[in-house]
Amino acid sequence: MRVSIYRFNPETDAKPRMQDYDVAPEAGDKKLLDVLMRLKTMDDSLSFRRSCREGVCGSDAMNINGRNGLACLTSLPGLKEPVVLRPLPGFPVIRDLIVDMTQFFAHYHSIKPYLINNEEPPERERLQSPAEREKLNGLYECILCACCSAFCPSFWWNPDKFIGPAGLLQAYRFISDSRDTATAARLAYLDDVYRLYRCRSIMNCTEVCPKGLSPSHAIERIRLALVRESS
Amino acid sequence: MRLFLGQRAWVLQRVTALMLLILLALGAATLLTGPSRSYESWHALATSTHGAVLIVVFFAALCLHGWIGVRDIVLDYIHAPTLRLPLLALIAVILFAIFIRVVLTMAAHFAGGA
Amino acid sequence: MRARSASAPKFLNLSQVRFPVGAIASIGHRVSGVLLLVSLPLLALALDRSLRSKSEFDALRDLVSEPWRALLLVILVWAAAHHVLAGVRHLLMDIGVGSRLSQARTSAWAAILAAGIIALAAAVRWLS
Ligand code: HEM
Ligand code: HEM
Ligand code: SF4
Ligand code: SF4
Ligand code: FES
Repeated sequence: MRVSIYRFNPETDAKPRMQDYDVAPEAGDKKLLDVLMRLKTMDDSLSFRRSCREGVCGSDAMNINGRNGLACLTSLPGLKEPVVLRPLPGFPVIRDLIVDMTQFFAHYHSIKPYLINNEEPPERERLQSPAEREKLNGLYECILCACCSAFCPSFWWNPDKFIGPAGLLQAYRFISDSRDTATAARLAYLDDVYRLYRCRSIMNCTEVCPKGLSPSHAIERIRLALVRESS
Repeated sequence: MRLFLGQRAWVLQRVTALMLLILLALGAATLLTGPSRSYESWHALATSTHGAVLIVVFFAALCLHGWIGVRDIVLDYIHAPTLRLPLLALIAVILFAIFIRVVLTMAAHFAGGA
Repeated sequence: MRARSASAPKFLNLSQVRFPVGAIASIGHRVSGVLLLVSLPLLALALDRSLRSKSEFDALRDLVSEPWRALLLVILVWAAAHHVLAGVRHLLMDIGVGSRLSQARTSAWAAILAAGIIALAAAVRWLS
């Protein structure tokens, strides 16, 4: 199979170029990541991140034939050839398919991704009813791969100010948590022309989330919560 | 409602969108069911009190809705403050001028027709 | 990490990204919004003319006799149709109606196609 990959080495290249590889997948190769690993043995200068190889760590997000996805969850059958691989759109490229995630994680940290509860802790854990726990489904599964934010036009235009779908999904995960007592402060922080309201409900985020989550739905719920909060 | 934060523009855009939708539907219904689409019937409608008020309200909603819309577009694509602020100011002035123009039009004919 | 981001390249060639229908409906909404806004002065002018006299009113009704003006009007009809349909879609999705991905895809297709058909009908009527 033919794979065309975006190459950039900051030490030797003035600008990025595309490099074609021909590779024969072997019997055990099921996913795009398997082929990339095989290519790596042919050309060890090829750089990409990966770790878990099963859609849990979120490190091998890239643009695959024009759509963002995880190489380890992309099945080989059905992939259109040549398979064109580029780094996540809009993110600064460190080398080849590796992008700089600093800003992405800064947005994540800005929404305080941890439980805030200053009440006296109970003897054992803070309990939730099954119904309260149910509200976190579809939110806690996020692996912070950045497929969504790197496919969001609003994030492309304002990556420094718009929190982006991944960060907003996480924000809603804590807003929804019955054990968190900072809901009002969290909502107030998001009520901003840039942080939340750059989202134009394009739903590119939900289109590409490899975990099947819906950041656009979380954003919709945050906006409605803000309306309820202030009326 | 929180003022001077992101939510106000978002809510205002949706409220004005709804107003536009209702007024457009009302206008279309009047056109389709009205006796004739002649100058006389249009003139009578537009210079009547409720007709004139609805037209002014329509343009007010239109200018506000359009303002928030282009403001968002400028915020998305134009980042240099030296370009962004004059551009926003220019657009705001033009929109405001258009609205004033519509009010003057309606006032002129309203006075004449009453 | 070295502070290299400022000079680092970015991949953001929009012609090499495969956009979902929702994104097409959305950019259409933006383009149509701008087209409508740009034509707003003309609308205000038309309002003024239409009230001045019967002859000016009738002149407005003859606008489509000139092909290039008819073409402009067809474009504006598309813009109005697409903007209103995509706008209603947005308003409904904002309150949680049809905001599931499968439904949103269907409604995006519907808005794009319906606006196209409406524009086509206007073109057939005025340009042929
Ligand atoms: C010279 C005229 C104006 C300029 C240059 C201007 C500029 C701006 C800018 C730059 C923002 C974004 C704020 C930010 O970046 O945080 C904004 C927000 C906003 N403007 Fe204006 N504006 C003008 C007039 C108006 C008028 C006439 C209205 C409405 C009657 C209006 C309504 C709003 C609203 C609703 C927001 C949204 C969020 C908020 O309240 O902060 N503006 N304006
Ligand atoms: C007829 C004159 C109209 C003009 C000039 C106009 C203009 C605009 C513009 C420039 C935008 C900004 C687009 C963007 O941010 O991407 C916008 C957004 C919007 N318009 Fe209109 N519009 C009009 C009518 C309507 C109507 C009748 C509706 C109602 C169904 C509507 C619904 C909306 C909505 C919901 C948005 C916000 C979409 C978003 O957040 O991306 N508009 N409009
Ligand atoms: S929401 Fe989905 S696409 Fe976005 S970071 Fe989380 S897992 Fe990745
Ligand atoms: S719905 Fe909002 S967050 Fe998701 S891709 Fe669109 S603009 Fe970005
Ligand atoms: S390698 Fe961990 S998510 Fe793909």
